[in-house]
Amino acid sequence: MAAINRPTPASLRHYIWQQEKRDRSRNPLFPSPEKILRYGAFVGSEIQCHSTMDRTMDQARHHISELEKAGASVASGTVILADTLSRSKGRFARSWHAPVGGLWGCLILADTFLTRARTLLPLSLGVSCCEAVRDLGVDKASVRWVNDVLFSGQKLAGFLVESFLSPHHGETFHLLGFGVNINNTCFPHDLEKTAVSLCQILGTPVNLHDFTLSFLAKMAWNIGLLAYEEEQELDRYCSSEEEESHLLLDQWKSLSDTLGRRVVYGYDIQQKPQYEARVTGIRADGAIVMRLNDGNEIIEHSGELHYL
Amino acid sequence: MSEEIDFDAILGKYHSDPYDYVEICATHTGRVSFKIAEGDTVNSPSGEWLHIPGSPLFEITRERNTKLVTAKTNGTISTVRTELEGQFVEAGEKLLTIRHPLRKKEVIEGILKEVLYLFPAPERAKYFFSLDIQSRIEKKGAKALTIKPGDEIIIMSLMKRDTPIYYTGEAGVIHSVYFSPGVSVDQGQPLIGVCALDKLPLIQKVITRVKADWDKLVDPAHLEE
Repeated sequence: MAAINRPTPASLRHYIWQQEKRDRSRNPLFPSPEKILRYGAFVGSEIQCHSTMDRTMDQARHHISELEKAGASVASGTVILADTLSRSKGRFARSWHAPVGGLWGCLILADTFLTRARTLLPLSLGVSCCEAVRDLGVDKASVRWVNDVLFSGQKLAGFLVESFLSPHHGETFHLLGFGVNINNTCFPHDLEKTAVSLCQILGTPVNLHDFTLSFLAKMAWNIGLLAYEEEQELDRYCSSEEEESHLLLDQWKSLSDTLGRRVVYGYDIQQKPQYEARVTGIRADGAIVMRLNDGNEIIEHSGELHYL
Repeated sequence: MSEEIDFDAILGKYHSDPYDYVEICATHTGRVSFKIAEGDTVNSPSGEWLHIPGSPLFEITRERNTKLVTAKTNGTISTVRTELEGQFVEAGEKLLTIRHPLRKKEVIEGILKEVLYLFPAPERAKYFFSLDIQSRIEKKGAKALTIKPGDEIIIMSLMKRDTPIYYTGEAGVIHSVYFSPGVSVDQGQPLIGVCALDKLPLIQKVITRVKADWDKLVDPAHLEE
């Protein structure tokens, strides 16, 4: 059965160089929009569209392995999409509901990043998705650290990044899994109050194909930002990371409502919430800074937040 | 590890000098300003989440960026290189030593760390066992679990990026686990200690002997349990 959502590399390239470049060029904060987009242009170099599959992350691992077995290499930037997933999951083996109507997929990136860019990579997903959602007029969409996209406290999108060591060549890939509730409006009972879709927010169906192009174009931009900032950093040869700004981190701050919030923190917040605190900042390496009730600060590089 | 262990020699060493001497070095280049003097007592991080920093040891200033370095272990300052006060030092320069009183558990761990294969953390991150390993540990316990090079044993979690870690040491059973889910581990610190199957009885003998002889060998007034 043919997939419903079928963007192509050509249509994505067209979108990137027409729409995305024009939009980004309007922002004076970005010094070299064309250069940044060139850095990220490999996103969507190949796009596989499936009607259904178990998990796109598993398909990505299989795809990489099969190509290597055949003596070839996977194209970095390959995107795998499926209209519906039968065995999708979130972190810690949590289930993820992925019916027809949503955007479900995985982006394969070869690990060409330096340490800081690799650490910030998960932020690019939340930022790209939130930008795409706000482009549709949903100005209240925001990012919750690390990269959940929320609307009025309900989860609109979730992301999962897993690294994968290819079995034959031993090359490291990052698999960026994404799940965005677009036109799906029915959620399992336990998610009814915590999940929301774009269609529910806007009160009208959204063009899934166009949203996919917009999201992937923004991924190309934000991955490009990581590479651009790497270049700048190497030019400066500066390593006092506390003082350095980063365009992706700046964009994350402008889209996030996490800073200043009272939160519950937990490594696995559903199973084991650990403590309450107030978020006071985000560090240059993406770590979150919180102030506990006793006045002491704590820094976390990993974990999850719930807002109070 | 030799099959013959001179327990008296090992325990005697801890009896005569039941301390660990922790060398503190400059974390990076910069100008140093000490916050302690020889003989001072310093505390390790405390609080439920170990979020209250340990005692201040020194400040190091690079490019007008001053960083306070605090104690990660408790003890007494045994040496301070006071001649470096206000001076510019290179990264890795030894600055001071903390004499840390060992507890029985630390002595056992210290001996074990010499005989186990220690699998280190590749980055400062949080770690948890892979789902398969975790379920096998829950069913049978870590010591009944044999791992070999190439096995996916641990997941490293950093900024919601989960990376499988493949075991690279000698085959054996997971004897010691040095990480807790949700607690950050510094790069290079051991995650697990692995023991070859045939060495297990010997390891057990070490633990039993230290536990049995501890009170006889160590002045109880001097050491914590």
